[in-house]
Amino acid sequence: MTASNTHGRPQPAGGPDPAAAGPRRRTVLLSGLLGAGAGVAAGAGAAVAVERSRPEPDARLVAARTTARPFRGTHQAGVLEAPPPYAAFVALDLADGADRDAVRRLLTVWTDDIERLMAGRGTLTDLEPELAAVPASLTVTVGVGPRVVGLAGAEAPDWLAPLPAFPQIDRLEDAWSDGDLLLQVCADSPTTVAHAGRRLTTAVADLATVRWVQRGFREPFEGPGVPMRNLLGQVDGTVQPDVTGLDADLLWVGDDGPAWLRGGSSVVVRRIGMRLDDWDRVDRASRENAVGRRLDTGAPVTGGTIDTAADLDATDELGFHVVDDAAHLRRAHATAPHERFLRRPYSYDDGQGGDAGSGLVFVAYQADPVRQFVPVQQRLAEMDLLNLWTVPVGSAVFAVLPGARDGEVLGEAMFA
Amino acid sequence: MHHCLSATRRVALAATLAALTLGVAGCGTTSSTSGSDTATAESSVSSSAALTLDDGWVKAVDVGSSDMPMTAMFGTLHNSTDSEITVSGGSSPAAAEVELHEVVRTDSGGMQMQPKAGGFVIAAGADHTLQPGADHVMLMGLTESLTNGSETSVTLQTSAGEVTFTVPVRTFTGAEESYSPDSDSSSDS
Repeated sequence: MTASNTHGRPQPAGGPDPAAAGPRRRTVLLSGLLGAGAGVAAGAGAAVAVERSRPEPDARLVAARTTARPFRGTHQAGVLEAPPPYAAFVALDLADGADRDAVRRLLTVWTDDIERLMAGRGTLTDLEPELAAVPASLTVTVGVGPRVVGLAGAEAPDWLAPLPAFPQIDRLEDAWSDGDLLLQVCADSPTTVAHAGRRLTTAVADLATVRWVQRGFREPFEGPGVPMRNLLGQVDGTVQPDVTGLDADLLWVGDDGPAWLRGGSSVVVRRIGMRLDDWDRVDRASRENAVGRRLDTGAPVTGGTIDTAADLDATDELGFHVVDDAAHLRRAHATAPHERFLRRPYSYDDGQGGDAGSGLVFVAYQADPVRQFVPVQQRLAEMDLLNLWTVPVGSAVFAVLPGARDGEVLGEAMFA
Repeated sequence: MHHCLSATRRVALAATLAALTLGVAGCGTTSSTSGSDTATAESSVSSSAALTLDDGWVKAVDVGSSDMPMTAMFGTLHNSTDSEITVSGGSSPAAAEVELHEVVRTDSGGMQMQPKAGGFVIAAGADHTLQPGADHVMLMGLTESLTNGSETSVTLQTSAGEVTFTVPVRTFTGAEESYSPDSDSSSDS
């Protein structure tokens, strides 16, 4: 298929940007697996036997599991990189009575631990460093809520607060909402994600307690022709700003933001439950109409490929819009250049059967969520066919700290 | 203090030693990265190049939590000289007393912690791993709480001179170094 192999992903600029290795590596991994599959399909029994008698590690898999993302830099890791297939979002609350010193100490511990873990090393207290030895492109991204900022002595931006209520759709539960701190842990290995999450939460157990955990996954074989699909079967996260190029100021807090947050960002984490039993009753034409995109290619229903802009004015022979007036695509469409943000969603499937427990961990990065994200969410709350099958059960907003440069502790500028 | 009177006494470990010793097999040395890593460099600052400490840390402790608050320092000591170095003792502003301990198997099959006779002897160019359930530097009679994410200072007396390390403090649920001078396993042989 000729669909672009870069849809739905931030476009890393050339040069030294380590994120540029993401899609390429995934492609290599994928082609390696496909190659192995082709060998089996060809009935090459002899080849399989040789493979078993010669257990040399697959160089492409070795490369994938040993890939270590850089921790130090202007921005935190885990935003620009193509999202790896496994993630955990862990929100924590500071202990009662936590003070400025406690916040500083917590961030000191996390800075050291995250740097070690991302490099494939155990943390200082790690008695199971073997579990850290597979970095698998691990990134850990730290976000903070207003209480942390206030205790540190910095001024929180106005947007660092729960999103405005969307009473038409929200069924928010405390169990999936808010928090003082966020860890976004992403890797190509679920074991790596589990170990990093465990070490980072226990390392500060005296300073903060876990409030909620949302585990998610994407398509491990994501790559050319294999887009991220949510559990409704839709190609997800299609429209992305050029956050490593022209639209960088949509992602990172700049000179107009608080000094301590420059180079940082914000992240919205919303847990969107899916009513899959109801969805099962919907035919494919209706499903495509609800989104405004074809299910097979992800292209707009007005034609083209996944990267083609939808023709929102197109009408059918009866004069109706081809893209339904309540289609998700139309309602989510930016009506102003600033109504864009970086989508980094993960699916979840934590249920015990039935239709509870499946959905999407919607994750959006932007410099200002109230300015960029809220107008879009407001339109979707007012009218979006997808609302028939989705229900937001959690919502949280965090300030994403700037990166820690050499010698710095994460969030250090908050204490200036 | 009474627990520092006998040079031959053994410090018996409480039942929690089991958790402590479980770590031994799985906790290989991480010294392969020593000297080449900025995180390592910043975690332990040595006043002498002869003996360095990589990945050093001290277990956090609240002095109000015990009648005899104590803790331990772990990490990898590295002798960067061409001569053997013997670590014979230590001190810390956070502790009344610093001892060098080892963990040994007793006649009854249990494990117990005791001062290491002769100290830590580190061959030229060699590493010496300090870890829960094995050799470690014991800080006893703590004078202040050591809080997670802070730092403390430990000085070791060595045949190559004194060396002071600034060491990060970390919360850790293992290494429950309970001091039980009256334990039945404290008899000397």
